[in-house]
Amino acid sequence: MADALFYVMAVAAVLAALGVVLAKNPMQCVLSLLASFFALAVIYLLAGFQFLAAAQILVYAGAILVLFLFTIMLLNLGNPGSEDPTDVRMFSRANAGLMVVVAAALLFVAALGVRRAGPLPVAASTPKTGLDPIPALAGEMFGRYLLPFEAISVLLLATAVAVVVLAKRDRRPNEGGRT
Amino acid sequence: MNPDIAQRILSQATLDASGPFLALALGVLVLVFLELLPALAALRQIVFLGSLAAAAWAATRTLFGPEIAAFEGTYVANSTTSWWALLFVASALIAWIFGRRYYRDEARFEGEHDILLLTAASGMVLMAGSRDLLVFFVGLETLSVPLYALSGFRRARRESVEAGLKYFVLGAFAAAIYLMGAALLYAGTGTIALAGFQERSELLETPLALTGLALIAASLFFKISVFPFHLWVPDVYQGAPSPVTTFMATGTKAAAFAFLLPLSFALPPESAGLVAAIALITMAAGNLGALVQTDMKRLLAYSGVAHAGTMLLALAGMHADPESGGASQAVLFYMAAYTFTAGGAFGLLTMLETQGGRPVTIDGLRGLARQRPGVAAALALFMLSLGGIPATGGFLGKYLVFSVAVRADMIAAAVVGVLISVVALGYYLRIIVAMYMQPEDATRPVPAESRPLSSAMALACAAMVLVLGVLPGWFLANVR
Repeated sequence: MADALFYVMAVAAVLAALGVVLAKNPMQCVLSLLASFFALAVIYLLAGFQFLAAAQILVYAGAILVLFLFTIMLLNLGNPGSEDPTDVRMFSRANAGLMVVVAAALLFVAALGVRRAGPLPVAASTPKTGLDPIPALAGEMFGRYLLPFEAISVLLLATAVAVVVLAKRDRRPNEGGRT
Repeated sequence: MNPDIAQRILSQATLDASGPFLALALGVLVLVFLELLPALAALRQIVFLGSLAAAAWAATRTLFGPEIAAFEGTYVANSTTSWWALLFVASALIAWIFGRRYYRDEARFEGEHDILLLTAASGMVLMAGSRDLLVFFVGLETLSVPLYALSGFRRARRESVEAGLKYFVLGAFAAAIYLMGAALLYAGTGTIALAGFQERSELLETPLALTGLALIAASLFFKISVFPFHLWVPDVYQGAPSPVTTFMATGTKAAAFAFLLPLSFALPPESAGLVAAIALITMAAGNLGALVQTDMKRLLAYSGVAHAGTMLLALAGMHADPESGGASQAVLFYMAAYTFTAGGAFGLLTMLETQGGRPVTIDGLRGLARQRPGVAAALALFMLSLGGIPATGGFLGKYLVFSVAVRADMIAAAVVGVLISVVALGYYLRIIVAMYMQPEDATRPVPAESRPLSSAMALACAAMVLVLGVLPGWFLANVR
């Protein structure tokens, strides 16, 4: 039962992720992303990570996606506008398609190798309690990983600053024409 | 807070180990605070320089001491990581000083610029000290996110925005590959700590762990810009603001190497040949690409790719024969020489670009020796050091790297590497010839203002290049 649910959710997550990339309408992209997040949350739950699943729903599906929706509605991005003049040859469809095919082929070969190797060694070495009981998670976060935890707070602050730099409205006329 | 955890984690040793990172992070917080009131803006430079000085001081405290393992071994401070931290501080200082008065249209964002630069430096320090895949990833993002914004900092200019966008998309892709690799490695071995990999080295041979290692290596290779992940370098280096390019070329590369060295024991020994081949192809791709460039920033970008390949050769040597030693010292010394050489060269280009108001090309440098002998002499010195001429830091760095390869019995690779390096002299000398032996470019504007701070920094870089080349004894005795 759990296995069947996992496969259903895994396929759903991948299909929804494809929808995010392939959909033309931004609103459909965001809704696909939502579906992908939900499927991922179920997978976390199946693996026994209740807290992670809850955080996924609350933070990603709840907060971040609502922000996306607001942005799209406010900016009225319904129909794609004129062509962006930025040089995007590097990201043309042919190149991107080739890269995806190569990456998928490599992962497939790796997966075949993994299958042949038999059961995963991780099963023997993971602690049985897992990370999930919240005190254990907090113990890791404020113990062994205290330094990266602090670094992430600095990083978030810097990200906010970066957004100001890149997006603040420029009131003065400038020579180049903003892209 | 659980007193048990507090006792286990927080101690004087922990504070000593994380001192450089804490100094930089604190500097970021104070700088953000200063933005609240315009009256406090005058303190900005003092806080920025003070934070860098504090980080350097904290790094010297662990420079000669024994290794301190903090946070249950996920973060360490030893002689090598302290040298790296000092190098990052120097790199940030070089980028900052050459960036003074460079951003005319973006002068309003000077405070934000300093905040982003300092955050990126703190990320580098975290990367160098990390002994855990998670800690390293946080450091990598703390470095990368500010750099994406800094690359697109001159948002009125299309090429800058384009550089920022390209770097962001490809960087996010590399980060995703890294995470995928870390997840597979965890699935294969049950740990993400480097010490854990050492304990369970037999599990590293499984296909799952090998795939994970390959993905992590690929994302690190993207950051140090080696073949075939180097295609973004010329576009991004050319489009980004010149001071940011200085920082990217020296700091980012150094930080990725700082982690690649302790991680490389995990790669299987059979891959040494592959790494050596990648190193040689990278050198060839970088040097051949640079030969046909006319824009100086683009030329130095390709030259940076070639230098990354050279350093990778030391890694391959260490890989083939872990007992031979010296690879860490060679890479550290090479990177120090490269930081001051490339930092000075990019810095001089920044100066010329600011004064001339246009990108610097080789043709634009014609006859510079008569107009500005000091600038031309310094630039010539940096080119000679990049090319590896004796009596400069660049020569000794190359010597150390190739001797690591020879000691590991990779003589053929070392010989090919030396031959490829000779090709590089072709374009470095072309610049010197243009400056000294060609008639003056009459259209070049006479500089309207002198830049004493930048000139002093260029002089300091030139002095360091010469000291590393002529009197390296102290460094070689103390850098391990």
